[in-house]
Amino acid sequence: MTLSVILTLLASTLTSAIPIVCAALGGVISERSGIINIGLEGMMTAGAFTAVIADYYTGSPFVGLIAGIVAAAVVGYVLGIAATKFKVDQIVAGIGINVLAYAGAAYGLLLVFDQPGASKQVAGIGGPNVPVFNLSAGTIALGVFSLLCAAGLTWLIYRTPWGLRVQACGENPHAVKSAGLDPLKYRLVAVTISGALAGLGGVFLSIGYLNFYSDQMTAGRGFIALAAVIFGRWNPYGAAGAALFFGFFEALQSVLQGQVSWLPADAMTALPYIAALVALAGVTGKVRAPAADGVPY
Amino acid sequence: MKRVANVFRGPVGTLLFVLIAMSAVMLVAGSSPVDGFYYLFKGALGGPAEIAETLAQTTALLFPSLGICLAFRAGLFNIGAEGQLMLGGLAAGAIGAHFLAPGPLIVFVLLVAGFVGGALWAGLAGWMKARFAANEIISTLMLNFVALNLANYLVSGPLKSPLATGAETAPLPPAAYLPTLIPDTRLTIGLLIALALAGILQFVFSRTVFGFDLRALGEAPEAARRNSVPIKRMTWLAMALSGGVAGLGGAVIVTGELHRFNTSLSPGYGYTAIAVALVGDLHPLWICLAAFVFGILEAGGLAMQASANVPKDAIHMIEGIIIIVLAARRYIATRTETPA
Repeated sequence: MTLSVILTLLASTLTSAIPIVCAALGGVISERSGIINIGLEGMMTAGAFTAVIADYYTGSPFVGLIAGIVAAAVVGYVLGIAATKFKVDQIVAGIGINVLAYAGAAYGLLLVFDQPGASKQVAGIGGPNVPVFNLSAGTIALGVFSLLCAAGLTWLIYRTPWGLRVQACGENPHAVKSAGLDPLKYRLVAVTISGALAGLGGVFLSIGYLNFYSDQMTAGRGFIALAAVIFGRWNPYGAAGAALFFGFFEALQSVLQGQVSWLPADAMTALPYIAALVALAGVTGKVRAPAADGVPY
Repeated sequence: MKRVANVFRGPVGTLLFVLIAMSAVMLVAGSSPVDGFYYLFKGALGGPAEIAETLAQTTALLFPSLGICLAFRAGLFNIGAEGQLMLGGLAAGAIGAHFLAPGPLIVFVLLVAGFVGGALWAGLAGWMKARFAANEIISTLMLNFVALNLANYLVSGPLKSPLATGAETAPLPPAAYLPTLIPDTRLTIGLLIALALAGILQFVFSRTVFGFDLRALGEAPEAARRNSVPIKRMTWLAMALSGGVAGLGGAVIVTGELHRFNTSLSPGYGYTAIAVALVGDLHPLWICLAAFVFGILEAGGLAMQASANVPKDAIHMIEGIIIIVLAARRYIATRTETPA
């Protein structure tokens, strides 16, 4: 294995992992507050699609970035309202959000671009090419920003009064209530942030690394992110690490494709999903979820 | 009066809401709801051939919906019906292409193969849940992707028919075709099998110890545990049965319509079925009605797309809205029943 292959693998790991890292961070904040966010996949889709639409109409990838994050945060807010105000089953509502987002984006493609399957090409975030990694500066900046989000989220959850209260909401919302605070408000804000983070992942997918939206381009990454949350023990660094691990398998798949003849291409495509399955079986049961995770208050 | 109001909150109220939401989506697409609904219903119910197609879609949706119903009732969120359907179809197609048996026996063998294929695939997730406490939502979904890749690999490699240009298994012998109900349509006796299955499920839920334990697991796991319900065994068993029912659906599509296996088996029946199961309130008999309504949407949706220029994705969007609204409806129902 030459140095160039290793560098390609490294760069490819980064680009494959970043969307999963962002969504996994979103999963962490949401689950720490007590809401299981099955809708991460849909929020990524909303972010990826809206970014392309905004980019298409304004010609500015930066506007696309902001619009994508905001749209996904709105979807997060909707799940939050459903899970707090209406006390609906979080899992059912999350499934609904995924279905709605997939179909909404497919419908939107027809309405805006008048073509099914994929959008027209828009301006990617891009920037000058960074030689060693062979990635654009914008892609790398967004990637670094995502990793910084892990640090920021760690600080937010463990070092701020707000974060400690969010943790308390996930462990024992009744205790939060008896301290005179409204756990539902904390949960609502946490799920909205969760949506924004998942949206960032989606934006990276569509205009951060590529320059278009295609149908179901999130391809289950929101669910792999949920596995990363568990694998990372509901901790931002842990989840980001697990996401990098899954990203590595996705990268391995794309690097190995065409290099190794004995392993069929379909087996390689399945690699990240199999890795997530094995990780899920290997780690759960040994770790403990927040006590009130998924329990309506 | 109160009873009327309750019915309105139930499936009928949802249906009304859906009609309003659909009108809105049609307006956004730039066509009038009158046209849209006209072509939708004409395409779904306009004549014997149209009705047969609608019922064929109903059949295809009914199996995975009943499978999902079984798992959800046990508190297991099996969202992998798509993969289980695929594996069931794959098992039936793979065996049917190489296995020769006299007459009706072969159809029976292939249907059993479909059930076993789906059951093994879902049972894997059930076993992971029972043994490692692995979250079944994530595992069943991951297995969907793996199933699709596995099927793709097999039909373009080891199981590929040497005669076919596309990626598909060798065709089944005509003896393995599921009999049709109306000649020259896709409507087969699969519909009757599905309806019988719904009846059986209803009986199991309401009249058997197994069904009681299954519901206890979903509704009050702690009570189930204290009453010595074997939680782990029930977990993998419920998952396996759930996947088996979905897999049976895959085999019905293979023996009834495709007469071979390829990955075009399902345009997402396994995902739509989640909405069907929830619309049917996880109640097997209501699910039959819900599957018929969705059958109308699926069959009529194509006609609507062609004639009224409303994209079929609009219908899937509605499904997402339905799922969210249903989750909220539960809340409204429980709130009004208990005095505040």
